[in-house]
Amino acid sequence: MNSLKRIHAALHFQPHDRVPVIAQVFGHAAMLAGVDLKTYVQDGAVLAACQRDALAYYDYDAVFALMDTSVETEAVGSVLDYRTNAYPTVQAYVFAKHDDLAQLHLPDPQCDGRMPELLKAIRILRHAVGNEVLVVGCVLGPMTLVCQLMGLQEALYLAIDAPDQFIQLLDFATRVIIRFGVAQLEAGAHLPIIFDPASCPEVIPVAFFRELILPRLKTICSTFTQAGAICNWLHIAGRTTPILPFYPEAGVAIANFDFSVDPASAMQALPQTCLDGNLKPFAFVDASPAFIADEAQRLLQCFAQRGGFILSSGCEIPPEARPENITALVQAVRS
Amino acid sequence: MHNALMQKLVQALIDGDQAMAVTQTHQLQAAGLARETIITDGIESAMTQLDARCTVEQFNLLEIMLAGRAVMSAMKVLYPGDAAMFPSQGTIILASLEGDVHDLGKNILKMVLTAKGYRVVDCGKDCPVDRLIATARQEAPLAVGISGLITTVIPQIRQVRTKMHALGLTQIKVMAGGAALKQATAASLQVDFIGETAFDCLHYVETLSGS
Ligand code: B12
Repeated sequence: MNSLKRIHAALHFQPHDRVPVIAQVFGHAAMLAGVDLKTYVQDGAVLAACQRDALAYYDYDAVFALMDTSVETEAVGSVLDYRTNAYPTVQAYVFAKHDDLAQLHLPDPQCDGRMPELLKAIRILRHAVGNEVLVVGCVLGPMTLVCQLMGLQEALYLAIDAPDQFIQLLDFATRVIIRFGVAQLEAGAHLPIIFDPASCPEVIPVAFFRELILPRLKTICSTFTQAGAICNWLHIAGRTTPILPFYPEAGVAIANFDFSVDPASAMQALPQTCLDGNLKPFAFVDASPAFIADEAQRLLQCFAQRGGFILSSGCEIPPEARPENITALVQAVRS
Repeated sequence: MHNALMQKLVQALIDGDQAMAVTQTHQLQAAGLARETIITDGIESAMTQLDARCTVEQFNLLEIMLAGRAVMSAMKVLYPGDAAMFPSQGTIILASLEGDVHDLGKNILKMVLTAKGYRVVDCGKDCPVDRLIATARQEAPLAVGISGLITTVIPQIRQVRTKMHALGLTQIKVMAGGAALKQATAASLQVDFIGETAFDCLHYVETLSGS
């Protein structure tokens, strides 16, 4: 069984040779290769090479063409600050206080910002692994993109003070996401992961998610499916238990759950959805391989009866993680 | 009469109604109330009620943000253009460290502490440790609070106490919080306190200022 078939089996709660394991290795691939993170997030060929090396080194079931949370906002017009060995940060938001929404530029993934580099990374990765390993692209979710267009605090105040304008911005974000995600599928991604940390109930109330975010996630997921995504994978970190039950309605087939959500409640909330999670990201930095192995075994046992599980971390494995800890995670499904 | 007006202010603050909070503050001033009274009986009373409602499980971020904004607007009415005049129970310095752009939690902390009568010096996000320490040297705060959401800032945090002690700043406590730092222990971060929520931070600061 190859990685893609294994993941397919997990998706449909069918038997497989072993549980799929996907370490959320993004910037860590640069660290492992001794490449500056700043270069990694700007050069699609470098990103792809580092991801391939990391795949060869760890032997897990997916590679990620994922740069950081500022790709879309940069392509719309925000100014970023790039620093050595760090993810870039937004220096000037494109949608500052009194900006005119009508002026916002809908980016073209073929030429704006780093979008073409991300597409390049996808092409290289897909060409290299074919249908053996899952090639994951990445788009932000609508809430997180709005927050990256204007700042989180400002976005939340806008939602209260001028809901109509906020909704227009959400719709604009949705168009950006769809265009970028479809381009990623055309470039060869099996699916773009939808990364929407700002939709977490620690940031927005559940009703806010249900009324404003869910309908847009639905549109995004169904468009991706039509464009050939093998399924939709939603990633919201933090204490997501109250919003998990909405995922199937959105069209989500793989649901990430963080370390702050216990496996039993995730299973209860999503009895028919494949779950991925949920080792503590920081444990990959400060714990031992034995600890990771134990935690992974505990999780595997939780899901042994049910299936529909991909062993993973609850969120990104920090770039500075100890490689032996990632190895311990990957080995857990093989022992 | 004053009580009814004050109650309206408290309610406006709890509701996060900025415009109403500003109106009520003006009215209380017009009725001749001292600003210190408006702070203790109005603003602090509202914060105490919010504090009681907010636990780790029941933390309504928007509610706190709106209340915080209303409080800040009321404070501006009381002390127009002169933050240095705020009556203060002591100074607290806040920062997110270099490489960390998450600042929502820090901003909430700032509002909660300000509303409870502390003078907050905000070093902003993406702040180098040395700038934080230089500010501490200048401001003689009760404590510095670091909000850390990404784990890469942990090595920087570990330097803070040592560097301050090397400069003789041994009285100043170091507090930490935020998603990344909550996962660690105070001993491993070499800080004096780790808190779950902004109100935990407030309670710790209150033990320092003896209020
Ligand atoms: C919003 C958000 C963002 C926004 C930030 C906007 C902003 N201006 O703040 C954006 C989209 C920009 C962002 C970007 C990134 N993020 Co982010 N983000 C979040 C998210 C969803 C919420 C954080 C938040 O604001 N929570 C709400 C506030 C109110 O909570 P809080 O900060 O914890 O504060 C409360 C308490 O902790 C306490 N508190 C806070 N500070 C202090 C201090 C003291 C002294 C005390 C006592 C208490 C205290 O008081 C507050 C109120 O009670 C979290 C996930 C999550 N669910 O937590 C990820 C998260 C923090 N981000 C994460 C990451 C990895 C990133 C990126 C690096 C992603 C990437 N790969 O590109 C980037 C770049 C960040 C950078 N360079 O700093 C990870 C961090 C994990 C790790 N490995 O370290 C998280 C956990 C999840 C994730 N992957 O998305 N992010």
